[in-house]
Amino acid sequence: MKVWGMLLGGFPRSRRLRHVLRDVERGTAPYYVAEAEVDRFASQVIGAQLAAGFPVVVDGMADWHDIFRPFVDAWRNVTVDGLLRYFDNNFFYRIPVFTDEPDARSFVLSRRVYRFRDAADPAGVKVVMPGPVTFAYMSKNLSGLSTEELAERIAFLLREEARKALDAGASLIQVDEPFLADIDATPDHARLAVDLVNSIVDGFGDRAVLSLYYGVPEPGVYEVLLDVKARYLMLDVADAPARASSLLKDKGAGGHVLALGVVDARRIIDDDESRIIELVKGVAGGSEELVLTTSTWMDLIPYRYALRKTIILGRIVESVASSLGADVWSIWG
Amino acid sequence: MAYSVPRKFPTTVVGSYPKIPPAMDLIKKRRAGEISEEEFRKLIKEPIREAVRDQIEAGIDIISDGEQSREDMVVYFAERVEGYRPGDWVRIFDNVYFRKPVIVGDLKWVRQMIVEDWVYATSISQGRPVKGIITGPYTMMEWSFDLRYGRREELIIELARIIRREVEELVKAGARYIQVDEPALSTRPWREEAELLKDALEVIFKGLGDVKRIVHICYGRLEKIIPYILEYPVDQFDLELKNSNFRLLPYLKEYGYDKELGFGVVDVHTLQVETVEEIKGYIDKLMKMDFIPPEKVYVDPDCGLKRLPREVAKAKMKNLAEAARIAREEW
Repeated sequence: MKVWGMLLGGFPRSRRLRHVLRDVERGTAPYYVAEAEVDRFASQVIGAQLAAGFPVVVDGMADWHDIFRPFVDAWRNVTVDGLLRYFDNNFFYRIPVFTDEPDARSFVLSRRVYRFRDAADPAGVKVVMPGPVTFAYMSKNLSGLSTEELAERIAFLLREEARKALDAGASLIQVDEPFLADIDATPDHARLAVDLVNSIVDGFGDRAVLSLYYGVPEPGVYEVLLDVKARYLMLDVADAPARASSLLKDKGAGGHVLALGVVDARRIIDDDESRIIELVKGVAGGSEELVLTTSTWMDLIPYRYALRKTIILGRIVESVASSLGADVWSIWG
Repeated sequence: MAYSVPRKFPTTVVGSYPKIPPAMDLIKKRRAGEISEEEFRKLIKEPIREAVRDQIEAGIDIISDGEQSREDMVVYFAERVEGYRPGDWVRIFDNVYFRKPVIVGDLKWVRQMIVEDWVYATSISQGRPVKGIITGPYTMMEWSFDLRYGRREELIIELARIIRREVEELVKAGARYIQVDEPALSTRPWREEAELLKDALEVIFKGLGDVKRIVHICYGRLEKIIPYILEYPVDQFDLELKNSNFRLLPYLKEYGYDKELGFGVVDVHTLQVETVEEIKGYIDKLMKMDFIPPEKVYVDPDCGLKRLPREVAKAKMKNLAEAARIAREEW
């Protein structure tokens, strides 16, 4: 058995980056100052992940205001409107507004891979995109398409994003569908998501992650999701450990490699290592491969705690591997 | 001066009101240490007086102090409870942040936090009751970081004990309407979350005597939590309804709702002022559903009015008061 760790997604901005972005927005600093600071910041974040022993890293996406915004900015026929609460967080995203069938003006992810792959070496680079169902259902749809048609069109564009990112050298493609862990998600939503995610990762499912966070999916939703052709299935375990554990014991992983979000990315208190080991043993003891990750993106806690949680995750990977008699996998490929 | 609160459709507010100058400056100066807490208390009276005057002029029956002292519903209390320290910056949206407070030690009530403002507002309310309004333990817990307790069940009860102490101070001072604000509850609409708050509310409200016990909940998926909160030890749920197009009402009827209802009839997120006719129409809609008598309906805005321009906030209050007056004659 091998166990490895990775961060799930974005990192909170450092004080310096916050100030630089503010200055650029106010027009008191040129945009390239922000670009340079994002590069510097990404190098720090990548360095922390390498130090924690992760074989695949993210750049922290610190310049993304929310998960949808870079795609909204890169696509035609979609803009942003007012703010809406992002799931159960005290954080608000700007609602994407689709006014017609979206089309790509440029690509978001491949550019990032080219930009950060050298800093990540020898680790692989993971890119993260919003899932088409989450994107479509959390947007305002004035496109004339049905929500399902809009989600299909978004999936088509995301597939292009994924292909170009792989061409640029990405090691993993992660599709985030937090909407499916929400209490309002239904098996129909899950079926649509499975069909669309399968279309996105067709041909490279072995390098794909479907991630679900801010809750534990309802059993009926989860059952459908087991048909997804992504090798890795990520669940937020820290948010409701008992529910997650019960779900996994009842339904299993359907042949997927589990990526368990064991480190709570929304709280700053140190995670209890022994409780995590106990939980992991209960749900993934016999697997051949296991990924441990953060429960969600870390952009909702302060920067210094995100760094601390990164190191904690690295330590937990070691402890879990040791308790399971497994190897720690830290070199990609 | 005695004031008679109408038996049917009394009007009220959720609490916060647009900051009236120099309230915001005073808050900043106090935090920066440029003025003391005592000076702050003295100087904040003028904005409170203005907020109270606006409510009286608009015709509100049960008013608030306008929460002129509070820059934020969590930070204000965190700054005054022992065991908290100011937090690091956490993003709210885009590149905008707030300092999310951190619990680092045993939580302890050390002094009155809102009583003085309540006493002052009451002294100038021309006899109208003034609500004592405090942020609830679930919201304090969810919108703070915790480095001390770890177990949420323990933390929420500790917070509830502190709130209980402040509520006791309010009641001692004469408050008869106590409102606990819980906007965070509807963001996690699961049974176990609702039960956490139920236990905490028992701590806050048990044996308080002749006091109207109110919980304000807003936004999110209220219909999901309704079945879990009906047994809360409160007299009234104050609910946001207009913003969600009153979709909650059939659920309330279905679940046999029998408490008083704080009936949110104006949207605090739009500058458009609902007309008297529109608001009267919402009241009629509720009455025609025939599950709650007019004596149990408190007409008010969806939520605090703080984000609106003052003139819009006042116009909304005025129209809802007028709509309630007309409705009283009809129902």
